[in-house]
Amino acid sequence: MNTVGASFRYEFRMQVRKRSVWIVPALSLVLFVLIGGSLLRDLFDPASRPPEARDAVVGLALQIHALLTIGFGCLLADRLIRDDRLRVAPILDATPARPGARLAGKYLGATAATALPIVVAYFGFAGAYAVHTSAPEAFGWALAALGVVIVPGLLFVAAFALTVPLVVPAPLFRVLFVGYWLWGNAVAPDVMPTFSRTVIHPLGGYPLDVLLDFHGIDGEDVWAGPVPGATLNFLRPDPTPAAAWLSIGVLVVLAAVALAGGHAVRARRIR
Amino acid sequence: MRPLTLWRYEARRAGWAALLGPPLAVALGVVAAWANPLPGETTTARILLGALEMAIPLAAGVACGSLTGRDPAVEIQLTAATSYRATLLRRMAVTLAWTAVIAVLTAAVLIATGWWARWPENHGPVAGQLTWLAPTLGLSGLGFAAGAVFRSPAAAGALVTTVWALQQFFGDAAQQNVAGRLLYLFATTRGAVPGDWAANRLTLLAVAAGFVALALVVLGHSERLIGEEDE
Amino acid sequence: MRIEITGLTKTYRGGVAALDGLDLVVPTGMFGLLGANGAGKTTLMRILAGVARPSSGRVVVGGHDLATAAGRTAVQRELGYLPQDLGVYPDLTARQFLDYVALLKGMDDRAIRRRRVGELLEVVALTSHADRRLRGFSGGMRQRVGIAQALLADPQLLIVDEPTAGLDPEERIRFRTLLSQFAGRRTVLLSTHIVDDIAQTCREVAVLSGGRLIFRGTVDELTRRAEGRVWSVVTDGPAPAEGTVVSALPHENGMRYRIVAPAAPSPGARPVEPGLEDGYLAAVAGTGMERDGTPTG
Repeated sequence: MNTVGASFRYEFRMQVRKRSVWIVPALSLVLFVLIGGSLLRDLFDPASRPPEARDAVVGLALQIHALLTIGFGCLLADRLIRDDRLRVAPILDATPARPGARLAGKYLGATAATALPIVVAYFGFAGAYAVHTSAPEAFGWALAALGVVIVPGLLFVAAFALTVPLVVPAPLFRVLFVGYWLWGNAVAPDVMPTFSRTVIHPLGGYPLDVLLDFHGIDGEDVWAGPVPGATLNFLRPDPTPAAAWLSIGVLVVLAAVALAGGHAVRARRIR
Repeated sequence: MRPLTLWRYEARRAGWAALLGPPLAVALGVVAAWANPLPGETTTARILLGALEMAIPLAAGVACGSLTGRDPAVEIQLTAATSYRATLLRRMAVTLAWTAVIAVLTAAVLIATGWWARWPENHGPVAGQLTWLAPTLGLSGLGFAAGAVFRSPAAAGALVTTVWALQQFFGDAAQQNVAGRLLYLFATTRGAVPGDWAANRLTLLAVAAGFVALALVVLGHSERLIGEEDE
Repeated sequence: MRIEITGLTKTYRGGVAALDGLDLVVPTGMFGLLGANGAGKTTLMRILAGVARPSSGRVVVGGHDLATAAGRTAVQRELGYLPQDLGVYPDLTARQFLDYVALLKGMDDRAIRRRRVGELLEVVALTSHADRRLRGFSGGMRQRVGIAQALLADPQLLIVDEPTAGLDPEERIRFRTLLSQFAGRRTVLLSTHIVDDIAQTCREVAVLSGGRLIFRGTVDELTRRAEGRVWSVVTDGPAPAEGTVVSALPHENGMRYRIVAPAAPSPGARPVEPGLEDGYLAAVAGTGMERDGTPTG
């Protein structure tokens, strides 16, 4: 546990002081505000904002998660391979610390640091909204959305962003990742086979739909469950609380599997 | 004209991502078109042109964002008679030339097989090449400039992919005003106002030139390139 | 190529002064630059190579002012540079790497390039490894590749920063000889903290400490700085607190210490003949600087 904690603290500090970890989400938010039509602006416009605080902050969580997670994944895509590039990997490998524990600490530390600007941005906007509309319950919904939508999605993305570049060049991973993010989250299941609306939906379809009872800004969207005529419907059980928790569990388990795979690849290379 | 051997070395320096990205992008577009169950050839044609207008520029943009930073021999490069700016421009040119080869071949196949003509907003086989050229140069310019400013392929790649995804996820919102429409990357396959197409393509080319100029100014400060990288 | 440096200052972000009003003239031939880590040697090398820019002051190399782009380019055409932290492209073979650097140096003629690369591979004893990828090279082999690339275009000015780091004793001797032979009517600026490298190759030397020039003269003059200040002390107790311990050797009566100090560090201390290392330490000690270049107060 000490190794995990030490590795976590070291990675967190290393990553959080990177200027790009803060600049990339900041620029993304600026662009998002500039193009208009997002909740970043609409939250403060009485004519455009959703009537309920829950829809407002959960919708905000969805938009911020959909957009900022792309930069999050790209920024994390070199954290494991950089140890080899900077020639620190052999030094770390020579320490008595277990490689698995080091990897877990590195994963959690780098993820937490890279996620920090996203969380700050989310709570910044949600807090401003809560104050602006005198709706303190918005904080509660924001915390819930963070816990069941944003955090599982980020854990899932971070695990693959750390480990896939061990076998694929990092720039190529970034291209594939954003393609996947669009395909696996935004493509309608009846257009082509996609993980969208399945339990492997890092944008959090099941938790949004069931646990947060969120159906889009206009209340007409469906985020989870089977789609007539779509493939992969076996991954789309009826939206129930159990299915929502299952979805969160699946994302976390897949993240663990990705990390185990990365650990195995590194172990083979060291040998 | 410098020897071809130098260009070959720069092609190797551009890396595997620059080589594999564009063909992989086209392949994914073709798979998406093939998997499309929606009736009507127009939709399939749109996805195929989308591979040119969306996937290829993304691959080129991320590859160009990875050119600056993490050059292990940067200190030797900066003391050579060949300016490092010229070297990086050469790497960018190689990346874009390879992207263009893949894009032109793909367009030729789409034109020959009739899929090009099945998308109503195709703008013809010649001017229509701006379908891929304008967003490719626009995103590549952005990537190159971001790489020069951040000295971090991770940050440059993150910015390029975020801009691309922002216009994908929020295509309608991005085109609500003239400025947004002129800067929209996917005006051929998802353009809100077809009449803006030519102006949009020219704007993207101008923006690309501006980004490259910015990158060259930033890269002129050689000391930044050997300073502490934003690891 | 004569190098004239006047009032050179380099201050990094955060106010760290790497060079502080440096005045120095480097004539043609071999010239040594000594200093502890952090003394400002690498910053000076980088400024001379045109990679870094001064905060203030003037640097003229072979009549070219480094403040201008034209001046920097003119100097770089005549420059061979081996950086302290040499990076290579691991996917290239040694021959390919040298061929690429030769192209960057403007050697566009393929036949001339091939011949020169072959010659230099021979000089650094890497001919048998020429077609192996650099990924698999040891640190010493990489350093030899770095030396070869610095010599590619037959430079008039050769700047080598810690060139013998990672080399085994035999390689170090071979490289020092190579540098001395190469110098002739050219300028070779050898920066190192390995005093022996300077002693074996240079007639003139400068010592930097804390970004300032604390000595400029011949190697003999630097050695004489320690005259009457080098002591041998044999003791079975702790090392004397006074002065700088140069070496500690086991002795039948405990330890024999070689110490540089202004006065005898202990009652039994015996004066001994100084060497260059002693002279260097005496010069640095006279400035009140610690080994890392920070003032001791």
